Amino acid sequence: MSSLVGLIRRHLLIAVPLLFLLATVGFAQDWIRTGTGLGVERVRLAAADFKASTTDSMNTELLKTFNEVLWNDLDNAGIFDLVSKSFYPLQEPGQPSEVNFPAWNSPPPNTSMLAFGNLGAAAGKVTVQGWLYDVKNQASPQVLGKQYSDNATSDAVRVIAHRFADEIIFRLGGGIAGIAETKIYFVSERSGHKEIWVMDYDGANQQQITHLGSISLSPRISPDGSRLAFSSINKGGWEIMMYSFDLNRMVSFPRLGGMNFSPSWSPDGKIAFSSSRNGYPNIFVVDASGGNSRRLTNGQGPDISPAWNRKTGSQIAFVSGRSGLPQIYTMEADGADVQRLTDQGYAVDPNWSPNGQFLAFSWRRKYGPGEPGANDLYLMDVASKQFVQLTHDAGRNEYPCWSPDGRHIVFQSHRSGSDQIWTMLADGTNVKQLTFKGANTQPNWSWK
Amino acid sequence: MAAGTDIHMRYNDFDIYSEHAQLRRPLAWSFGLHVAFAAFVVFYAMFIHSVRSEGWGSGGGGDAMGATLVRSVPLPANPTETTNVLATESKGLSKSQPAVQEKEPEAIPIPDKNTKTKIKPPPVKTATQRKPEPEPPESNQIPYGEGGPVSGPYTMTAGGAKGGFGFTGSGGDFGTRFSWYVQAVQRKVTENWLKYEVDPRISEAKRVYLTFDIARDGHPSNVQIEQSSSVPSLDQSAVRALQRIDTFGPLPPDYSGSKVSVEFWFDYKR
Repeated sequence: MSSLVGLIRRHLLIAVPLLFLLATVGFAQDWIRTGTGLGVERVRLAAADFKASTTDSMNTELLKTFNEVLWNDLDNAGIFDLVSKSFYPLQEPGQPSEVNFPAWNSPPPNTSMLAFGNLGAAAGKVTVQGWLYDVKNQASPQVLGKQYSDNATSDAVRVIAHRFADEIIFRLGGGIAGIAETKIYFVSERSGHKEIWVMDYDGANQQQITHLGSISLSPRISPDGSRLAFSSINKGGWEIMMYSFDLNRMVSFPRLGGMNFSPSWSPDGKIAFSSSRNGYPNIFVVDASGGNSRRLTNGQGPDISPAWNRKTGSQIAFVSGRSGLPQIYTMEADGADVQRLTDQGYAVDPNWSPNGQFLAFSWRRKYGPGEPGANDLYLMDVASKQFVQLTHDAGRNEYPCWSPDGRHIVFQSHRSGSDQIWTMLADGTNVKQLTFKGANTQPNWSWK
Repeated sequence: MAAGTDIHMRYNDFDIYSEHAQLRRPLAWSFGLHVAFAAFVVFYAMFIHSVRSEGWGSGGGGDAMGATLVRSVPLPANPTETTNVLATESKGLSKSQPAVQEKEPEAIPIPDKNTKTKIKPPPVKTATQRKPEPEPPESNQIPYGEGGPVSGPYTMTAGGAKGGFGFTGSGGDFGTRFSWYVQAVQRKVTENWLKYEVDPRISEAKRVYLTFDIARDGHPSNVQIEQSSSVPSLDQSAVRALQRIDTFGPLPPDYSGSKVSVEFWFDYKR
């Protein structure tokens, strides 16, 4: 008996903590307790200028491009409260060891997050190291650490800045990929004809895609970004045309007969468009190759501008003049269950948000000679039919199109005196002009 | 005599003052029983925990009065609206009370002089009568919830502490290590919570608590109402907010666990 007591006595000191440890490890569960009610703050983020890590003469120019692009991307993201650079401490870090936490996490900068890093060119190559620190959490501050290298050119550095910005936005924005590397397709007249052009999401890098010398409209990029559908006039009338980015040339698409307008891609690669092959413009659906054509609407319409629900692919919004002035309708992807969403005025250009919840469209709510107002952009919650006006007193605003992150809308506006492409946040704020040269219309944002 | 010896011997046998050896056995028993009891408590707690997979006496991750870092002090819910007076550069926080006017005692009525005074009927209260307007708040007072951000850690979280006896790990240190992720979760839920889905007749309601898990890839699952607000449309709007969310973004790469559990409350006030 005494030996047993001794045994227990000897091992008790070890056994009990061991049991506790087992219990803790075996059933440990990380819990977050938080909530909402008072609204949310944007993340307060400081983006320190990156420092040169080598002594190459190209550094100055590359750094200027990098810092500018990174700042603009973060500013455009719509989820940050960027701390003005005038609040930054004099010693900006280029390495994790140089971060002075108290100088950043207390006023004046009083930031939660700090993006910093360094850039160095050497022998025609550039290497960028970037970090994102949670400076209010000194114990484990690192949220992100990345290294990039590429040729030491301004374009490459621009891409690196976009990537780093997207990483930050992805981490802090709740898993939604940033849009810094997305493209916007649009129609421009600057070459003398209406051709399809493309630019970066921030308006940089504008390039012409088509050279058909006729009139090309309604560019729509495919979900995988490999093909561009648009409508163009040729000898046979208005046809759906297809451009391949894999081949960098036009590819054939069946002539469908009649007038064919406004193609729209479904998430799984089908194309809906408006065609008058049976007399009146109606909505048709074909495969990506142009085969297997099906009519979804019938009647005297006219039914135009189909737009797929980008999330589910199971609904199509379109514009119909069946009751007089054009109004927005929705239907199932097989043409069933047609519902009217707008009840007055002149409503066109529906575009479905990436989460499938909202339709953006252009609406002139009081239409007629002498009526006040112009085409303005609206958002409608499709389920509840509640709507909100996004643009006010700023000329004609048309062709809204959502960004893939669902936080931005690109559109065409006449507010500057000519038709140009503009972007804004989906709540109507932060309006920015992207194009300035010639007349630029009908923007379409890439899917990713 | 023989009987006397017998008795004497028996006394010797039970002499409690005689030797220490007599004590060893009961002490060992006592010790053994204590150990057995301690082991029982440990295993009972483990068993209960594994069955209910939640903490003692709470719906949460169960928690002792675990000491956690100061940056994650779980702030108590503000049960009712209070007028939160913040110090600002102001006209001052106090307000002088209006002086109480003392009524002069009525004179003793003289029967002759009072005969002609008409007795006014008491004012009739009608349904349309306007309620007295609430007093406008002082310009230097900030109503609860409308003040600016409190500078400090934004998670009210981490080692959850709903009290009770338990010895499992705290809620873990996720909230402390990855407060940026917690904030992203908070923001995303708030963005997807459409308050217009709540019955417009409701102006204020109790908090509704949801629980859900976030998988490694950021996908929320297992959404449950832990504590209802007793307003069905509010409960529903909270659940729908979660249903709208596909992902919160992958869990931080430095985090080793396969999922995180979230207790999320919604405060509704129109």
